[in-house]
Amino acid sequence: MSIQTLLMELVLMPLVAFVVGLFMVLMLRRIGAKLQRRVGPPVMQPLYDIVKLYGKKTQISHGWMHDIGIVMAVGGYVAAETLLPVPGMDGIADKGGLVTLVYVMMIPSLGLALGVGQCANPNGSIGIARALTAMLAYDVPFVIVVFGVAWYFGTTNLVDIIAIQQAGGVAGWGATAMPLLAIAGLFALQGMLGKQPFEIYIAPAEIATGPMVEMSGKYLGGLFVMQCFQLYTAGVLYVSLFLGGGENWLFFLLKVFAVVAIPMTVAFLFPRYKTEQMIRLMWKWPVMIGLLGLAFVMH
Amino acid sequence: MKEIDIPIEASVDRNRTNPLARVFDELVRFCRSRSMFMLHYCTGCGAIELPPAMTSRFDMERLGIQPMVTPRQADILLITGYVSIKTLKRVILTYEQMGSPKYVIGICSCTVNGGMYWQSYATAKQLDQYLPVDLYIAGCMPRPEAVLEGMRKLMDRIRSGEADGWKDYYRRYDWYLGNQQHLFGDDWQTPADVIGEASHYDLAGPGTEGEHTRLLQQCQKPLEPQQTFFQIGGSLEVKGESHE
Ligand code: SF4
Repeated sequence: MSIQTLLMELVLMPLVAFVVGLFMVLMLRRIGAKLQRRVGPPVMQPLYDIVKLYGKKTQISHGWMHDIGIVMAVGGYVAAETLLPVPGMDGIADKGGLVTLVYVMMIPSLGLALGVGQCANPNGSIGIARALTAMLAYDVPFVIVVFGVAWYFGTTNLVDIIAIQQAGGVAGWGATAMPLLAIAGLFALQGMLGKQPFEIYIAPAEIATGPMVEMSGKYLGGLFVMQCFQLYTAGVLYVSLFLGGGENWLFFLLKVFAVVAIPMTVAFLFPRYKTEQMIRLMWKWPVMIGLLGLAFVMH
Repeated sequence: MKEIDIPIEASVDRNRTNPLARVFDELVRFCRSRSMFMLHYCTGCGAIELPPAMTSRFDMERLGIQPMVTPRQADILLITGYVSIKTLKRVILTYEQMGSPKYVIGICSCTVNGGMYWQSYATAKQLDQYLPVDLYIAGCMPRPEAVLEGMRKLMDRIRSGEADGWKDYYRRYDWYLGNQQHLFGDDWQTPADVIGEASHYDLAGPGTEGEHTRLLQQCQKPLEPQQTFFQIGGSLEVKGESHE
């Protein structure tokens, strides 16, 4: 691959991710509206919100760490996008691999923790403490799932994993071969996206949106952008691991949107768990299902 | 307090060299009007008409209006009904924490002229003496249709650039502060440095400073680190300091 194509892919992949992510946010809000029998926001609403937030006159910074935290939160996901192969573009996916990706996906939470720490708002600190606890909770099943998939396909290279699945057709998909791991993965996905019942760190009515409590203007805008990336990353990763990646863009997007729709639909049907309940649930059921799946895979 | 008329000069437009500046301004104004985050802070009985306006029946979200929980994130401050003097202090504190451009909507007759609490000793009668109100929605209480109609009006005014109450607060701060002092006493102060903000936004005018801001500066106490106490097993311990 020539250096020009590589550079172009590195620019294009996050851009595509952002645009797809905007539509995912729209889908999230539309699903909520449909379940509550409302009309829901107009198509461009996520974009309006972001442009408005960046166009605010007052931009309150709480110091250097606050600025850098937001950059880390968005930048971590931008880096993750270049490691996620999409149809026609591999970026640096075959050099990075699954382990790097899992590592990079933790950076946003840590960046947010740094940034929010400087805001010195007790609600923010509680929110971050909960966010990191939640990460601890969902990362255990997540790592089991990633390990199982890598073991089954014999590689941690996402490009190879997708190629193997596509060679076998639907029967070769990870979800067909490892249904238990796929189910555990869904739990981890729900926790990763921070949707109800695992919405412990946003909790608007309880700790006033936790990490976002002191964010205004472009800082909140940055977090809105981060949300787009987050939905996209989680969806594409699941599709790459279990649903055979994308043969072409049409099927790829269909699969990704279908996967992301699951946690969103579930979210609007549940209230919120407490932190300890979330950990107990996460370390019990998905871990048990995941370990069982792992046993089948390694057998 | 008598209302004094202060001439308001049009803000001098900075010399903008970018040919796309106008297009850009238009876009930002459009997005501002289509995406309004309103603060969940309900003062009086008029608030009861907001849940129906937000939920399935009238669905504010289709206009891009969303509730937000902290003043930092919000664009609109809804004053839904009478404000008692104690509440008004909190409302002003909240307003000053919000990021510009910010808009205030007074819902209910009580915010317009005191409504049925006209004779009460404990309520502020006219909201626009203390805060720059961009829009009033009259009624006791206005129905959700009226609330939505008002929101649409505000959208139009934001889009055309008319809704600039927040600038008025900076330009005539002395007058607003005077009314606030009249109600709360001479030692009234908020953590926000409004005069500094006014000069930051180039909005400081002849009405920004005056006798009332001088009084404020005389009475101003410096902000002190706030001490938090946790009661652990009967003994009172100082656990930490948080800085404003
Ligand atoms: S106008 Fe009527 S409904 Fe509104 S706050 Fe006053 S008394 Fe309550």
